[in-house]
Amino acid sequence: MFASVWTNLDYVVPVVLFFIGLYVIIAKNNLIKKFLGLNIMETAIFSFVIALGVLDGGTPPIMGPDAHPPYTSPLPQALILTGIVVAVSTTALALSLIIRIYQQRGTIEADELREME
Amino acid sequence: MKKALVTALLIIAAIPFLFAAAALPPHGDPNTPVQTGASAYYLEHGAEEAGAENIVTDVILNYRGLDTNGEVTVIFTGFAAAFAVLLPISLIRSRTEPVSELPASPVVRFAVRLLAPFTALFSIYVILYGHVSPGGGFQGGAILGGLFIVLSAALDPARIRRLIPRQAGPWLRAAAPIAFVSMGILGLILTGSYLGFPTSEAQSAVRTGMLIVIEIGIGVGGAVIFATLFSEMEAQ
Amino acid sequence: MSSIFDATLLLLLVAIALVVARTKDLLAASIIFSAYSLVLCLLWTHRGAPDVAMTEAAVGAGITTVFFLVAISKTVRREK
Repeated sequence: MFASVWTNLDYVVPVVLFFIGLYVIIAKNNLIKKFLGLNIMETAIFSFVIALGVLDGGTPPIMGPDAHPPYTSPLPQALILTGIVVAVSTTALALSLIIRIYQQRGTIEADELREME
Repeated sequence: MKKALVTALLIIAAIPFLFAAAALPPHGDPNTPVQTGASAYYLEHGAEEAGAENIVTDVILNYRGLDTNGEVTVIFTGFAAAFAVLLPISLIRSRTEPVSELPASPVVRFAVRLLAPFTALFSIYVILYGHVSPGGGFQGGAILGGLFIVLSAALDPARIRRLIPRQAGPWLRAAAPIAFVSMGILGLILTGSYLGFPTSEAQSAVRTGMLIVIEIGIGVGGAVIFATLFSEMEAQ
Repeated sequence: MSSIFDATLLLLLVAIALVVARTKDLLAASIIFSAYSLVLCLLWTHRGAPDVAMTEAAVGAGITTVFFLVAISKTVRREK
């Protein structure tokens, strides 16, 4: 079992990172720290999906004059490009909302915001 | 107490995932469905059929072009919502009080002024060469937007804000969806399906031209969106 | 089969994520998060995905870090 964990380290480490990010979202109080946790979860998913398409000794999938056959698969890379840009878009919107919450309520700790309702 | 409970629950929840990750086919195996399915077709026929030598650019703009169309719309909508949240306060503030900032040190100002033209040239290179080398619209647009942000933080912000003309601002921010939809309608005229690229050998210049127009639209749109959002957030 | 270099980068990722989770100073957490982005970019370049690595470097280490810094300068610096 441990031999296969070492072989599949590229799959096991993103799972660990995903759960670290989930812990930060649930257990931390500050809204900005929660969004750092969400970004950690998102990059863990990107890492996992790209690791699915990697070959041993694979070269980048670009047809130049000196490109030779075992290419890493271009399909997961295309999906993750979309994912990265959508992640930055949602982070920008979330940070704008946090700035406005701070201006209206004076605090960005989740339990103090809940007391104010 | 709460943190210990959350940690214990997450460790229990993570154990099936770790077993599943360790039991996947070995990393780097060339017989998985990812390698032998659609990817093999894209790698074999992408260069002559789809108009770009960078197969990833092929896939995102030609084979899976509708996905990228939707994604560009998502970016535009997300930033429009962020502007709607931020705009009222910055409009009121800019009328009542001047924004006073600490000027950056002379070393920083000199270094930024020295590097700015090379960075701008590099970002335009990355946008235009996206179909033969790693790069493309998103990367070049992010570099150009980052250049605007660094200039605005090190030099005078008001002067940099005037670089984006007031009337053309909303059209520049919407450049990416506009480029996509116009190329989609061109594909509708040429082949009969939305965003369909002509596949014949004689029209390969039309294919590559459509790809370059979409890349320039994505690059310019992304850069202006990032720069404008930074100046709105800064003016709060 | 991952080589020693890739295994080192992956374990460094886990260590950086744990440090980001524990730091109470939000400015330090944002800067360490941009280092996380850089290590991801190196990992993907070594694995043969240069397009994604360039996007992550430009967008993750550039744009996201700048937005976090602006948000921290307009709100609080330390979490309670």
